[in-house]
Amino acid sequence: MIDFIHVVKTYPNGTVALNDITLHIDDGEFVFVVGASGAGKTTLMKLILREEKVTSGKIIVDDIDITKLSYFRVPHYRRNLGVVFQDFRLFPKKTVYENVAFAMQVVGTPQKLIKRRVPALLKTVNLSEKSKCFPNELSGGEQQRVALARALANNPSIIIADEPTGNIDPKMSLEIMNLLIKINKLGKTVIVVTHEKSLVDYYQQRVISLDHGTIVDDRVGGMYE
Amino acid sequence: MRRYRISYFIGQALQGIWRNGVMSFASIAVLMSCLVVLGAFTLLIVNINTNLENLDEANKIIVFLDYDLTEEQIVEIERQIKKIDEAKTIKRITADEALRKLAQRAGENASLYDDYYKDNPLSDSFEITYDDAKDLTTIEFELQGIEGVRKYRDQRYIVNLISDIKNGVLFVFLWFLAILFIVSVFIIINTIKLSVYSRKSEISIMRYVGATGWFISLPFILEGAIIGLFASVIAYFVEEYIYKSFVGSLGISIEIITLLPFDELAGVIFTAFILIGVTTGIMGSSISLSKYTKK
Repeated sequence: MIDFIHVVKTYPNGTVALNDITLHIDDGEFVFVVGASGAGKTTLMKLILREEKVTSGKIIVDDIDITKLSYFRVPHYRRNLGVVFQDFRLFPKKTVYENVAFAMQVVGTPQKLIKRRVPALLKTVNLSEKSKCFPNELSGGEQQRVALARALANNPSIIIADEPTGNIDPKMSLEIMNLLIKINKLGKTVIVVTHEKSLVDYYQQRVISLDHGTIVDDRVGGMYE
Repeated sequence: MRRYRISYFIGQALQGIWRNGVMSFASIAVLMSCLVVLGAFTLLIVNINTNLENLDEANKIIVFLDYDLTEEQIVEIERQIKKIDEAKTIKRITADEALRKLAQRAGENASLYDDYYKDNPLSDSFEITYDDAKDLTTIEFELQGIEGVRKYRDQRYIVNLISDIKNGVLFVFLWFLAILFIVSVFIIINTIKLSVYSRKSEISIMRYVGATGWFISLPFILEGAIIGLFASVIAYFVEEYIYKSFVGSLGISIEIITLLPFDELAGVIFTAFILIGVTTGIMGSSISLSKYTKK
């Protein structure tokens, strides 16, 4: 569950990125966050990740008020989130297996568990046969699937995807979206930040539209307008 | 329970040093220079203090005689010195005794003096003690009138001279050291900054998957510590080489100075180098990390 309560975010240069945002996302929901450049989508995502702090208001994630979270608690909080980026952000010198395992290693997961879990994750994203490949040997869609597997590595309850189809072709985009739907059906909350109208319209999920830092539309089965 | 492998952190730290080879080398070189200067300074002060302790009998004049005196002439000089009322005790030191004493003081370098026993370059001398500092002028006046006295040396003068030198050296070196340490820390800060920068994307991914601050920082802290460790160990061997060469070259030319053997101070110097080197490295890393890892 994610709750934004009268959230305002103003950057030090005076730009108001989010202005009095109040919204509620239930556990297991699939949500598109749409809007033009500068609408506040990325800021919204950064606030959930606790990469930025709110200027005023409250954000509650799974009953934790993350606006009051201490610096030392932030890493533990983030373990409950999985993030996927437009540019994949994979380690070029690590194999597919190592890229996924890395997310588990940094949080101190025992090797035994990593060896068991990584192949299962790669199976989920249909990349079992590419576990020994390096990122430069994969297509954009495949790289994004590795990123998805990595996002799932620590079994988070929330997946945040920032323009996950921005760097891949339309066919692969559908594949990635289908995977995100599949992950959502496993009970995870999925938030997709995008400005790809066709995908939003096709999947008929809840759509939160932002414009100049405010919510201009929020409806289930909505369209990108 | 969370388990982390120390080999991972050490591996990352060594990788960082390797990736930024030039800066790592510069850091090691500057910190090493700093430690060598610190060591040289410490050795100098320790040696000065030891020599000052050796000169504990400050109320003493050493009278050096001419080189080619006969035994009768020396006895005559002794008789004349004994006539000086202010002289409390008089002790004759033959040229051979003086040479043996010098050789003893040289410790491990004593063998350097072996050749001089055949043709001793030293002369006989007398040690005169006195009770009161004001007697010194009278004794020196009387000594000037004795034939066969080549020169005399007042120990108090040497004590004062060495103390003055020590204070001067202390002042200059402390400033020099402070500047060198600041430069060392500054270079290490930049080396680690480069290392952090080259791993920026890795760090951002670590943050997103929930790596703790210390998990992200530890490789960089270790990188600083390893730079400090390398610098310390190299500095120790450079110091040892320089000091031994110095003692070797000066051992026989300065007759009144005792230079402590390096091995006597080796343990302390090594430990101090490691502690200072590693601490400086860690300090440099911590300063550069405070900005980059807090998000």
